[in-house]
Amino acid sequence: MLRRFFARFLPLLMTLALLTGTAIQAQDVPRSITFFLTFIPNIQFSPVYVAIEKGYFAEAGLDITLEHGDEPDGVNLIAAGERLFGMISGEQVIAARANNRPVRFVYEWFQAYPVGVIVSDDGTTESAADLRGRKIGIPGPFGASYSGLIALLTANGLTEQDIQLESIGFNAPQVFCAGAVDASVVYVNNEPIQIANLAAQGECGEVSGISVLNVADFADMVSNGIITNEDTIANEPELVAAVVQAFHHGLRDVIANPAEAYLLSLDYVESLPRSEALMDALGSAAAVQREMLEGGAEGESAAARASLLADLRTRFDPADLLQLEILARSIALWEAPRLGYSDAESWQVTQDTLIQMGVIDAPIDLSAAYTNDFLPGEAEASS
Amino acid sequence: MQLQLVSRPISGQDGQKSTWRISMRRIAPYLGIALILIVWQAVVWLKVYPEFIIPSPLSVAERFIEVVQDGRLWLHTRTTLSQMLVGFAIGVIAGVLMGYCIAKSRLLEDVLSPLLVAMQSTPIVAYAPLLVIWFGSGPTSKIITSALIVFFPLLLNTTVGIRAVPPAQRELLESMSASHWQFFYLLEIPTALPVILGGLKVSATLAVIGAVVGEFVSADSGLGYLVNRARYDYDTPLVMVAIVTLAAIARLMYGSIAFLEHRMLYWRTYADQ
Repeated sequence: MLRRFFARFLPLLMTLALLTGTAIQAQDVPRSITFFLTFIPNIQFSPVYVAIEKGYFAEAGLDITLEHGDEPDGVNLIAAGERLFGMISGEQVIAARANNRPVRFVYEWFQAYPVGVIVSDDGTTESAADLRGRKIGIPGPFGASYSGLIALLTANGLTEQDIQLESIGFNAPQVFCAGAVDASVVYVNNEPIQIANLAAQGECGEVSGISVLNVADFADMVSNGIITNEDTIANEPELVAAVVQAFHHGLRDVIANPAEAYLLSLDYVESLPRSEALMDALGSAAAVQREMLEGGAEGESAAARASLLADLRTRFDPADLLQLEILARSIALWEAPRLGYSDAESWQVTQDTLIQMGVIDAPIDLSAAYTNDFLPGEAEASS
Repeated sequence: MQLQLVSRPISGQDGQKSTWRISMRRIAPYLGIALILIVWQAVVWLKVYPEFIIPSPLSVAERFIEVVQDGRLWLHTRTTLSQMLVGFAIGVIAGVLMGYCIAKSRLLEDVLSPLLVAMQSTPIVAYAPLLVIWFGSGPTSKIITSALIVFFPLLLNTTVGIRAVPPAQRELLESMSASHWQFFYLLEIPTALPVILGGLKVSATLAVIGAVVGEFVSADSGLGYLVNRARYDYDTPLVMVAIVTLAAIARLMYGSIAFLEHRMLYWRTYADQ
């Protein structure tokens, strides 16, 4: 009797137990999300690394995998629902929406447009207007570099026809130092530091010093931020909020403690210098800052960051500090009274530039291109 | 032996089969293209991907007509073609000359082979950015990229072809006191030609890749640039137009070499029929 009972019901009970177990497990298993980033692993993506390392994504039940690629590929993947989130520049969102890609900007990471034009400090280029007739290198006549250059020229009464544009790929330091171009479009938080180091070592041809004409000083354009697709916003707003919040915490922590961010990024960016002495110095700086923050102090100010770098410069080679310098300059582009906030005016300037470039033919509904709805509240942001 | 096969009379059922086979071979490439178009359209109909990822053949055709009419396609095609053809010519000449020298000198092979193998096994995209830095972003870097990618197959095939000369035939010419020049054009060239032309066919298509890789790294005209520009403008039909044009150029290059092969190696063609 008992045997018959077990023979009949045991498989059923086992199946039920298995299903229940799986269901419980499914609730505990974090959701895998592939987060799209441009370029290659780089210290500039430290807010993402910090958010992962400090468990901000995990706390939201998310297991993040990072994927790098070109912006248009990321936009297309996100628009098609193959990926849900990525870090993409604002002008790409406008261009994509003008071409029927249902993507939307949900968090403005860079608050200042990171593109600029680097010139030799030889006194021949005092202002952007002096670029007239010059040969200017650019990765290619597309993307953020091109948009930034056009905005800079326009703001200074110039057009593309007033300069000689030379496509040089992502080789600005080598090409500029070789003297093949008079000026070059660069990311202001990266290449200028490399070129300045080369110039200081006498390895940049006849260039002994440099100046940078920042696009952000002339035009307030939307730069990189988190995008997602319309379906995800409509069907999973809580997921969007969770991703935005996790990144927001990571960004806030990087700004508050760059030395710690550098150390947490080591596993992601293999090119980061990691000598024992540098690790010790950064470890101490990070610990001091952590204690200050736990004691209720504000995050590091620009002056404090400058002080940290000034101290380290006395003890380390410029090459050892290159990536930390890039991080410090990046933070300067991220900082804002309200992290993540997008304002309508900067979207309008960006769209006007794209129309002028011929990337889009007609204005789009900009209010649908971005939203501030997922930003952590003021109280939460300042907590 | 081969001539016997050719001279076999073809008549009746055999003749009909042969005619049918020749007709099928003529229309087979068009059938292949038609099949691709059908599968492509089916993918669009089934909405496997949104149309902004895979546009319909019709929208690509429309975009094709637009860029032909406004002259953009010819402008970029002309840039790529000129760079590719110059690079192809340089690569072929250098590859054949170097291949001949290596075939004749084991010492030269020993000296150069490590370098050649290392360069051959490195993807061209790995050193294309360096070529841009060294030779500038103008046409020179694209021509060199194209020449380099063409060079290796030609070099290898020439070496193999020249070394494939049967010793018995060499001994025959030696017994007839043939000069170096007679060895070259009576024996080595005819023996090596099929292998060299095989390499030439491969190189012809690679030359297109070489030029486009250079244009991807940095350019402001050319079909590689057009692909990049269209990607950033989210103009997928234009990306497809550029890709189809590149494929057509590669096919044209391949077809031209195949035609050359057909004319120069006519005895092999007869044997195949």
